[in-house]
Amino acid sequence: MGAGDGRPRTLVLGLGNELAGDDAVGVRVARALLVELDGVADVVESSASGLALIEILAGYDRAVIVDAILTGRNPPGTITEMGMADVGRVVAPSTHQAGLPELAAVASRLGLAFPSRTVVFAVEVEDPYTLGAGLSEPVAAALEELIDRVRHRVRSWATGDPGPDADTSPGG
Amino acid sequence: MTEILIDPITRLEGHGKIHIFVNDEGSVDHAYLQIPELRGFEKFAQGRRAEDMPQITSRICGVCPMAHHMAGTKTLDDLFHVDPPPAAKKVREMVYDAFMVEDHALHFFFLGGPDFVVGPTAPKAERNILGVIGKVGLEIGKEVIGVRKELRDLMVEAAGKAAHPVFGLPGGVSKPISPELRDRFVAAAAHAVEFGKFSLQVFRDVVLANQQYVDLVTSEAYTHRTYYMGLVDAQNRVNFYDGHLRVVDPDGREFLTFEAREYLDHVAEHVEPWSYIKFCYLKDVGWNGFNDGPDSGVYAVAPLARLNASDGMSTPVAQEAYEELFATLGGKPVHFTLATHWARLVELVNAAERMGELAADPEIVSPDVRAIPTETPTVGIGVVEAPRGTLFHHYETDERGLITMANLIVATQNNAARIALSVDKAAKALVHGPEVDEGLLNEVEMAFRAYDPCFGCATHALPGEMPLIVEIRRMDGELVREIRRD
Repeated sequence: MGAGDGRPRTLVLGLGNELAGDDAVGVRVARALLVELDGVADVVESSASGLALIEILAGYDRAVIVDAILTGRNPPGTITEMGMADVGRVVAPSTHQAGLPELAAVASRLGLAFPSRTVVFAVEVEDPYTLGAGLSEPVAAALEELIDRVRHRVRSWATGDPGPDADTSPGG
Repeated sequence: MTEILIDPITRLEGHGKIHIFVNDEGSVDHAYLQIPELRGFEKFAQGRRAEDMPQITSRICGVCPMAHHMAGTKTLDDLFHVDPPPAAKKVREMVYDAFMVEDHALHFFFLGGPDFVVGPTAPKAERNILGVIGKVGLEIGKEVIGVRKELRDLMVEAAGKAAHPVFGLPGGVSKPISPELRDRFVAAAAHAVEFGKFSLQVFRDVVLANQQYVDLVTSEAYTHRTYYMGLVDAQNRVNFYDGHLRVVDPDGREFLTFEAREYLDHVAEHVEPWSYIKFCYLKDVGWNGFNDGPDSGVYAVAPLARLNASDGMSTPVAQEAYEELFATLGGKPVHFTLATHWARLVELVNAAERMGELAADPEIVSPDVRAIPTETPTVGIGVVEAPRGTLFHHYETDERGLITMANLIVATQNNAARIALSVDKAAKALVHGPEVDEGLLNEVEMAFRAYDPCFGCATHALPGEMPLIVEIRRMDGELVREIRRD
């Protein structure tokens, strides 16, 4: 954890299943930045979901999250940058999954330190279901820009630029 | 005829969709759950080194990596014809029990439990861990997080990583348990047992003390008289790590016992055009459609099934809780799907107590944790009880140990036919006509949430918008109505 022990207080979290086609995109970004951001941010890859993510996010001041998204509303490879305010509360009741705002609300209620600044890079993907398929062409083509944008965001924070998403508190 | 489609439009999260077809008279004709699934596992595995499979399979699933890792490791024992030393088996089981406790805790308090603790008809916004905290108190939230963290830290030390364990090897484990780590397991187990007792008390106070909830649990809508399967030890007591498979019939009598190696003689798969999921059934009974009863090979796995398929629990507090459950719900077997939540807590206590027993065993710190394989690999089949039910791994290799065939039967496949029964029956009992009340939809979803089905083995949530969409369409595709919850 980043709090109070001299280690970075910024987290880069790459989410996804590294084996399942385009679902690997978040993990690929994390791996690309692991060494480069050493000492600036903790870079973590995870396939955890929902409230299990609280245990990863707790203790950091700032977080960049990279994940795949399949909405069908944008062409594969489209990168959407979101702050907490854009993410919206998850309401899908199927497995009581939880999104970031709910995680933040739970953390806040429990008195856990939770990132006050969070940026999510969501990448529209094509096929996140085929094991061993690797990244599809459009997602692979977006990888470099994605890495660059994550790098830029973390570096900006490190130099004191609060960025456009300075206030991402859950608001209760 | 009209179709109602409950579709949480998510990203790749393998959320299922519930399709409800309503006929012209306004009653439900049939309903089913459609589950997206990862593709291409067998092809992906072919040509890989068998010893990589416990790592590879643990990465298939973000929810139960330890279960795949352990099933894969046991399959390698079989494949390489090697028997691990006793200490290695105990280390594996102790770490596995830690995993069962933390996973069951997460499910009860965060995922399935809120339906009951907060109330099945409570507003959706309250049926989550925040609602649980509101009802039971702030401390419980901290305690769930704290117990899970304690156990996951121990798993990291013993198994390499909690998310992707690496300690399982054919013939044993990669490193012994130090006395210091053993002491921490002893302390964590004692803590977990107390947590489990507290959780059972929450269930008694909140659920059992409320007649409305008890009526729901025992209602016909959530009842299926099926067969049940689970792994048991030599005394027919529940064991998550090892033993033989036992199946009881809908009257609770022992129907069948078999070793993991014989699974293909007893488990077959039925295919339906509307689902990627193959529906497992008992070969010994046969496929007789989506029906329950003694003439249908439909069976269930997971906590309630394990309790039904056993003669008891291996530890004292869990045994007491086991007896209370069956005494309260009318004896064995219990066919009420929603009682799975209660069974999950009985198992949580059992896993915690068993972890403590193993940690206190002097042999747990033995350095003798590995038997080196010397034989040529051929065929390996292994089984564990994942939190969500029986998990089979089956690998075949060439003489170099490269995979030529790999097959997994995951818990959700074992349960798939019974889940389909549950969704269909709940929909028929609760949904009347296309004017669907949100509370009723929630109750249909509760039918499958009890199983904690693992959709797609690729679960991780985009922390983003996941609106629920209910589409009501005529059979010709015309959209009659859309209900959106954001």
